Amino acid sequence: MVDSILPYIILAMILFSIGFLGVIARKNIFIVYMSIELMLNSVNIIFVSLGRYNESMQPQVIAMIIIAIAAAEAAVFLSLITVLFRRKKSLNSDIFNVLRQKSVTHE
Amino acid sequence: MIDIIFIILSFFAIIGGLGMILFAQPIYSALSLIVCLVALGGVFALLSAPFLFMVQIILYAGAIITLVLFIIMFLNVKSDNLPNEPYKIPTILVGGILLVPFNLLIIKGFSTLEDKPMHIIGEGFGSIKGFGMELFRNWLVPFELISILLLVALVGAVVYLRKEKSDG
Repeated sequence: MVDSILPYIILAMILFSIGFLGVIARKNIFIVYMSIELMLNSVNIIFVSLGRYNESMQPQVIAMIIIAIAAAEAAVFLSLITVLFRRKKSLNSDIFNVLRQKSVTHE
Repeated sequence: MIDIIFIILSFFAIIGGLGMILFAQPIYSALSLIVCLVALGGVFALLSAPFLFMVQIILYAGAIITLVLFIIMFLNVKSDNLPNEPYKIPTILVGGILLVPFNLLIIKGFSTLEDKPMHIIGEGFGSIKGFGMELFRNWLVPFELISILLLVALVGAVVYLRKEKSDG
């Protein structure tokens, strides 16, 4: 098992599937956000295991860049959640539909 | 030995991920995501990336998810603010079955790679020095772009969180 890359890929794919299911099955917007974080992490696992396989350090740098992007995403997403919760008093992602056409008024 | 550690770490990672999408309260989800991320940090250490292991523990579990926990506590979420999710478990089960062919395709693609020893390399592979050399020699432009991205995210977060006008 140490001699193969496959267990790491299987672990990463299981975690990616869990994150994807969290995005499509949950309505709580915090859990949607954390599922996206989990998907980014599983992609990191694939990058780093391929880097170990080829004995190259470039995928580790890519994984580091992905972590930095996740930090930027965390700042924007959490402030967005705060604004939406302040306005709607709910965490349900179905009610965030202010861009829908039904609220357009023709003058 | 590495096999046993890997199995234990992946067990905790999968349990943490499943707990994250199954708990109803977001605070329990964030705590189980911390378990999952720390276990994934251990997997990074097994893949001879000690610097990424450190970054994962300090930055991901220590900073980002702690920020999420702070926001959850700061918002003071009551149980009637939470969405009503009657179809959570059936959607997860059906979606899990539907995702099986996709996963099998990816794993079949990766199984054509021939086996190589994957033991932990010492001698500076993944250490801070080698990592910094790699980053500042070959990845300097992405590094600078990341700094601009973080600045834009900072300004964006401040703009979102400004005090709104009275009609807001």
